[in-house]
Amino acid sequence: MLKIWSMKQKQQQAENAQPGKKKKVTAAQLRVQKDLSELSLGSTMRTEFPNPDDILNFTLTIEPDEGMYKGGRFHFSFAINQNFPHDPPKVKCTQKIYHPNIDMEGNICLNILREDWKPVLNLNAVIVGLQFLFLEPNASDPLNKEAAEDLKTNREGFKRNVRSSMGGGSVKGQTFERVLK
Amino acid sequence: MDMDGASVNGSPAGMDRKRWTYLDRILNRPGPFTDEEWVPGEPNIESLERMKILGAGGLGCEILKNLALSGFKDIHVIDMDTIDVSNLNRQFLFRQADVGRPKAEVAAQFVEKRVRGVKITPFCGKIQDKDEDYYMQFGMVICGLDSIEARRWINATLVGMVDNDDADTLKPLIDGGTEGFKGQARVILPTMTSCIECQLDMHAPRAAVPLCTLATIPRQPQHCIEWAHIIAWEEERKGNDTLDTDDPEHITWLYQKALARANEFNIPGVTYSMTQGVVKNIIPAIASTNAIVAAACCNEAFKIVTSTNPPLGFPGTNNYMMYTGDDSVYTYTFEHSKKDDCPVCGNLAKNLEVDPNTTLEDFIASLAEKPEAQLKKPTLRTEEKSLYYQSPPSLEEQTRPNLKKKLSELVSDGEQIAVSDPAFQITFKFKLVFKK
Amino acid sequence: MEEPLTETTPPILQDDEKKRKKYDRQLRLWAASGQQALEEAHVLLINSGPGVVGVETLKNLVLPGIGQFTILDSAEVTEADLGVNFFLEPDDVGKFRAERTCALLEELNPDVQGHYNTEPVEYFLTQSSDTHSLRPFTHILVTAPIVPELLADILTHCRATSKPLFYIHCVGFYSVFSVQLPSAFPIVDTHPDPTATTDLRLLTPWPALSALVEEKTRDLDSMNAHEHGHVPYVLIILHFLEVWKQTHDGQVPSNYREKSDFKELVRKGMRINNPEGGEENFEEAIAAVLKSLNPSTPSSAVKEVFDAEECKNLTHDSPHFWVIAHAVSDFYKAHNALPLPGSIPDMKAQSADYIQLQNVYKTKAREDVAEVTLTVRELAKQHGHLAQVDEKEIEAFCKNAAHIKLVRGRPINPAFPGQKLKWGQRAKAAVSALTNPDSLILIHIAFLAFDEFCASHDADALASAPRAPGSQDSEVEFDAEKMTGIANTIIDNLINEAGTRIEEPDYSDIGARVANYVQDIVRAGGGELHNIAALTGGMVAQEVIKVVTKQYVPVDNTCVFDGVGSRTEVLRLGADVSV
Repeated sequence: MLKIWSMKQKQQQAENAQPGKKKKVTAAQLRVQKDLSELSLGSTMRTEFPNPDDILNFTLTIEPDEGMYKGGRFHFSFAINQNFPHDPPKVKCTQKIYHPNIDMEGNICLNILREDWKPVLNLNAVIVGLQFLFLEPNASDPLNKEAAEDLKTNREGFKRNVRSSMGGGSVKGQTFERVLK
Repeated sequence: MDMDGASVNGSPAGMDRKRWTYLDRILNRPGPFTDEEWVPGEPNIESLERMKILGAGGLGCEILKNLALSGFKDIHVIDMDTIDVSNLNRQFLFRQADVGRPKAEVAAQFVEKRVRGVKITPFCGKIQDKDEDYYMQFGMVICGLDSIEARRWINATLVGMVDNDDADTLKPLIDGGTEGFKGQARVILPTMTSCIECQLDMHAPRAAVPLCTLATIPRQPQHCIEWAHIIAWEEERKGNDTLDTDDPEHITWLYQKALARANEFNIPGVTYSMTQGVVKNIIPAIASTNAIVAAACCNEAFKIVTSTNPPLGFPGTNNYMMYTGDDSVYTYTFEHSKKDDCPVCGNLAKNLEVDPNTTLEDFIASLAEKPEAQLKKPTLRTEEKSLYYQSPPSLEEQTRPNLKKKLSELVSDGEQIAVSDPAFQITFKFKLVFKK
Repeated sequence: MEEPLTETTPPILQDDEKKRKKYDRQLRLWAASGQQALEEAHVLLINSGPGVVGVETLKNLVLPGIGQFTILDSAEVTEADLGVNFFLEPDDVGKFRAERTCALLEELNPDVQGHYNTEPVEYFLTQSSDTHSLRPFTHILVTAPIVPELLADILTHCRATSKPLFYIHCVGFYSVFSVQLPSAFPIVDTHPDPTATTDLRLLTPWPALSALVEEKTRDLDSMNAHEHGHVPYVLIILHFLEVWKQTHDGQVPSNYREKSDFKELVRKGMRINNPEGGEENFEEAIAAVLKSLNPSTPSSAVKEVFDAEECKNLTHDSPHFWVIAHAVSDFYKAHNALPLPGSIPDMKAQSADYIQLQNVYKTKAREDVAEVTLTVRELAKQHGHLAQVDEKEIEAFCKNAAHIKLVRGRPINPAFPGQKLKWGQRAKAAVSALTNPDSLILIHIAFLAFDEFCASHDADALASAPRAPGSQDSEVEFDAEKMTGIANTIIDNLINEAGTRIEEPDYSDIGARVANYVQDIVRAGGGELHNIAALTGGMVAQEVIKVVTKQYVPVDNTCVFDGVGSRTEVLRLGADVSV
């Protein structure tokens, strides 16, 4: 044990801090802080932190300015655990919406939130992915099968369904939340 | 209380060494690889007996046995779990009658009874329940934890505790893990050598299947099980019950849901056991692999404390052993290098003396003038508080009022802050020391 | 994970839910069939020295539920045992060590029966002349030191009865164990890496597969986006192989360049005018081209099985393995391919299409099994084979045919004092290990010298027990010198037997290195360190489990552990088999 310390003193770099008894910023916080500073939200997205001291939990609002979902306002909850970025952030849509890649429970089928997540990806990659879902809903790998079927077989009908669902109407017996601005 | 009990553990160091005949040969005789300055005999016995050592996690049974029979006298053990019947095939200090009791307590009692003169102090709880004051009392920590999150936590804690002016603050961390016939043991000298965060890429992320595959085009029995687990449960039961993977009723429900779905898609192979394995992410575990890895860890602990032979983990030497036993036996022992940009040990906190009456705004301005790190657009936080965020706009707005506050209102003397800046890849850490 | 072709494990545990729960974490490794094999085993430990490594090995066998164990050990518990052996209690001093360790090991698992015997080994071995006293046991563990003549007896019996034996050394920071397996030890269930087992036969599709390709890719160009993006990659590759063949004289791409061109052909078939800019199934196809367009040639391990005398010349009492191997070899000769394993990896596809494809593979695999079964039945009739080979065994063999392995057990050579050790065919390899600074062979040689030393030094005037080097403080240096001398002689003899020379400075370097290991071993005075005994007990237990279950691949045949560098090395040693 004594030998370790003499080695330590040899390789010591000057002016490291005294240890404190206080809690230190965690590895997950460090990374999220870094990611937040690199976030480019543009004009269509904004964040909201219910508790500004807790950067691991926040909501993201997307207001698409083009595409079929234009005019809507969509909320997503982000919950990041202490094992970030080894684990991906948990993201859910907090409204019930009509979308082929989002189910009634708010689960989202986005590859980088699950099977393709890598620690090198950052939060910006996730929000870009979410934004893309509204510009280009993907019918081939759906979570909401009916919506996907509509998109595949009858694009115009799908567009009408999107409009009516966004207004709080119902599609095929399912009532959706009003999400218009 | 039995009054006589006190004398059992009371034998002073050096006495009653007959039991340690074999150990003492190693402690008393120099070997060809021992350091020239190594002093045989008494000092080594003293080091072992003085060393307060902590064991944690699923390898706990093996670790306690090995440490007790390596001559350690003051052993602590942390485990949050209670004994489950599926532990009995390897955790050899537990019996059928112990099922349901806390692991740390049962294990400690057993080893204290079996190995005369050893003191084992159990704590039934999570490693995260304890703070630096607790970890500071130990000389060394041996972990056989089953989650990456817990490993990262203890690693960051021990790295953060190192004080360059106090040798006692450096606690070697020895980590072991197993999966089936494979395992690994590694030695970390916090701040000196590659840490668990540096080695995070050694843990493969769990393979996941796209949600849409589960939802619409399942092909494997596991897809049906994951569907039941992630989608069906939320739709049908979430409101009433939180999923408890140890509740047989819950697993049975998931199994039946998965089986029905598999039948619908003509997918063969869903079983109860597979359901359990997928839902609980069960990793196969056997006594022999646990024995290998735990003993490899304790052997390193013994060598570090006694210097009876060179251990793994010194800077510039091997610090990581991988063991593979499924195809013959193969070990790969190597040096995992420290990462300069490691978020935990790559940039250690530096002391920064500040006037507690300075406003946060002025403090930020002063950071821009610091010659070694010209932080022009810094974002700052403590563990508890977001001090000031340049972005995103909502957070900027929420933290803006802090700019006018005095540092003393935001941080306490000696608290750590993390500072990031778009111009730098790394996040800086400072410990703010108030000018008196 | 793949769905097994058929359930290869008998449902022995179905009535015993409790056992299934207790053993859940290990059943996921060796299944009910492996567990059954464990429960049928009876391991004998012939214990000596401090006796920790043997007991630690048993601990790791009792916990997973070995059927029975017996400890043969005439030693009485000493104070020194208490500091190194966990399976003894403070009050046990003076009692028989076999009895006490047996009792405390038995506590670990009520499913296991423990026995003990306190006779000295020599009496135990000679107590009956007609029925060998080792007969009841299925697997034998021997710990050093042991009188070489006795060890030789045991080895001979094990060799004659094809009984696996493990000979274990554990002193100070080092350990070595050797495994003497039967001269033919075949393993069907080797548990290969799942990524290595995919066998899709894309170069030789059979009619049912070709028909499926035709059916599912006929309208590839006119498919809608969803259909096109879900054609399983196996069918995509097969489809484009047909396209390729039309412009390449009916030949498939065979070299790297052609395969790269073929990849481009597939890539051109991918639709990219979609939001994702590509298709996952086509990406999968492109990624699979290089590794799945290889003719499936059997590995050298499989050829070794086919070429074995036991395979070629069946007799009326050939073990099932060889009868099936012969039939599979016939199958290979007839089809230039092994039986199809029948499993396919997961791939992007619609559920129904995937299941359909899976069934085409499974059906073909079943047909192949049926053909092999027919041959097996015929061979059995031809050779007057009495026992019916179970169809499950044939299925398991066919499924794993590409990964079967035959270990040719070689006899362990006991080291007799003053006699030259015979290295045989392994001499050359051993000599080259001598000069490799990373090799641990010198630790093995130091332990050979340890055996010779013990055999020529008695603990007392009665010659009742061997004396380990370094057991007296006053003789450490003297013993080390003597043992180094023995080690050097072993090295010289080895170099001579290999018919080679090692020049300076390498030769002196070997001498210096072996002297270090000898010195560090003598330092321990024949004593065990608990950690090294526990670790070695873990390694030996893993090997016993692999040998008992005939699953995974065991050490062939000597494994060295260096507790200073925390490294192992497996050496293939042992005597030649006399013909």
